Amino acid sequence: MTTGLVTTTVGSFPKPPYLQKARNQFAAGKLPREELDELEKQATREVIALQEEIGLDILVDGEMARGDMVVYFAEHLEGMEVGGLVRSYGNRYYHKPIVKDVLRWTEPITVDLWRYAQSLTEKPVKGMLTGPYTMVEWSFLEGYDTFRQAVLEMAKAINYEALELDRAGAPFIQIDEPALSTRLEDIELAIEAMAIATEGVNAKTGTHICYGDFVSAYPRFFDMPVKQFDLEMANSSHELVELLKTKGFPEDKEIAWGVVDVHSHVIESVDDVVSEIKRGLDVLPPERLYIDPDCGFKTRTWDESAAKLRVIMEGVHKVRAELGIE
Amino acid sequence: MIATVVGSYPKIPNKPRPARLRNAINKLDRGQITQEELDQVAGEVTIEVLQEHADAGLDLVTDGQIRWDDEQTYLARGLEGVSIGGLIRWFDTNMYYRQPAVEAAVTWREPITVRDYSFAVEHSAKPVKAVLTGPYTLARLSVDHHYHAVDALALAFAEALNQEARALQDAGASLIQFNEPAILRFKDDYTAFAAACGRVTDGLSAETALYLYFGDAEGIYPQILDLPFDLIGLDFVMGPQNEALLKRTPFTKKLGLGIIDARNTRLESPDDIAGKIRTLGDGIDPDRIHVSPSAGLEFLPREVAQEKLRRLASGVRQAEGVPA
Repeated sequence: MTTGLVTTTVGSFPKPPYLQKARNQFAAGKLPREELDELEKQATREVIALQEEIGLDILVDGEMARGDMVVYFAEHLEGMEVGGLVRSYGNRYYHKPIVKDVLRWTEPITVDLWRYAQSLTEKPVKGMLTGPYTMVEWSFLEGYDTFRQAVLEMAKAINYEALELDRAGAPFIQIDEPALSTRLEDIELAIEAMAIATEGVNAKTGTHICYGDFVSAYPRFFDMPVKQFDLEMANSSHELVELLKTKGFPEDKEIAWGVVDVHSHVIESVDDVVSEIKRGLDVLPPERLYIDPDCGFKTRTWDESAAKLRVIMEGVHKVRAELGIE
Repeated sequence: MIATVVGSYPKIPNKPRPARLRNAINKLDRGQITQEELDQVAGEVTIEVLQEHADAGLDLVTDGQIRWDDEQTYLARGLEGVSIGGLIRWFDTNMYYRQPAVEAAVTWREPITVRDYSFAVEHSAKPVKAVLTGPYTLARLSVDHHYHAVDALALAFAEALNQEARALQDAGASLIQFNEPAILRFKDDYTAFAAACGRVTDGLSAETALYLYFGDAEGIYPQILDLPFDLIGLDFVMGPQNEALLKRTPFTKKLGLGIIDARNTRLESPDDIAGKIRTLGDGIDPDRIHVSPSAGLEFLPREVAQEKLRRLASGVRQAEGVPA
């Protein structure tokens, strides 16, 4: 691995059409679980192969078994239930989960597929979890009297899963809290929950949070007890970069700088990526600056995802060459 | 006392009932049915929703806003000067709306909701109220490329919606409601908001209502009692401080009690609902109280929404002293 501008992704990859079809068939009771498992593994192999071919440094398994980042864990945690359909926009609906009862982690949820993905590559594969705050905030709440209680109990459940990934050898565990970006006033609770979720974990930890008003939550936001903040910088305000430049960022922490917009079909140019990386280098030295897309690729096509990653890689090579670190 | 709703209602039920509207929209997208056939389904679903409202025991209903894609664009699409942009989260909910972009002067062309209102009246066993998103909330959640000031934009929307309200009134609407959740998030804009409220209700003879939800009215109460509405609805679920505000300064208008959580599946008991009505409505003439969920019900699965409405109506009857 290089000594700077380490490349990675936020977590999800688009599901190949055959897997999407198989998931629908499985949901309709027309495909046995074992066959779906096999197809999930096939897709995982393709995701790993793509990342290897592009030359990324830290890989992910692509979350081929997960439909939705909250629902997936809800299906596996005791005390959670997958509720009825709720509309999210247009003609799109999803089964919003319910925290129905006392939460309990009973068995590893993500470890098998992580282990499988890691067995396919020499490069490190990140373990990917949904954070306790987001798990509860994006669910209905019935089983606890207070939101806070539920979040802290959820944190214990997520901690069990993080410890399992840790024991299995995951070098890096990312615990995502996208829900926090719309309610940064809950930062104290999110910090407390993250401390519980990461307790005893030896692996490096990180968190991805979608774009939010980090300026008003500064500097407390960066007290989240993780080593790496994966932020949507491609859409971020000039103000945040200025703030990080002038007021600083904790010296023992890193930023994964999201340099391309995953919610757009348009493929950025290498020059766009280079200038975004340089914005990052104004704030952090290359050893503490990771480069990635600004969110998961779930909503992009396979080709769009690959194209965006190739542009990132090209931009990173260019800047590394300029810095003489490649 | 009136048991009612704030506006929206889940568009599709869960299995084993068929998701007719969802399926019909999919078919339209694939070119398998015509727009007229989709309208037909939307009408049938609206009738079903009106029936569910009546069956639950409500006294005053809406059309469930079944044809509304979201709270912003259904009206914005019908106005001149506004185009529709990308998806963006609606407040702190898990719902998204397409953000209207104001490109030129906002102008009302023709009725947007009157056909829906008349259709609902024709098919409802209960009285129907007309519901519009208020001018300030429309302005605040739009991108403004023309007026470059939220007060001017809110006034422009108010002018347009006033035309819409007059058309509803001409079609027989006796109660016209404006939903204005945005002002609770941007209370500094109160002056602009109040001006827009004045403009939007100008010259109306129908009763008017203002519904404020997703927070409390601290900072703008009791000023809101001076606004030109007959009824003001408050959210006592996400705005528990509203209770103290009402204690401090007596409520002088008809009161909308939003006391059922429209955003969580946990079911309230009729006993608790009745208790809340008694506490919060203490000292107010029961004839001047409308009881409802805290906001539109589209955040919930259909069956949960329906059960909440049953309990709401039952709690209201209990608070009135009517034997169950």
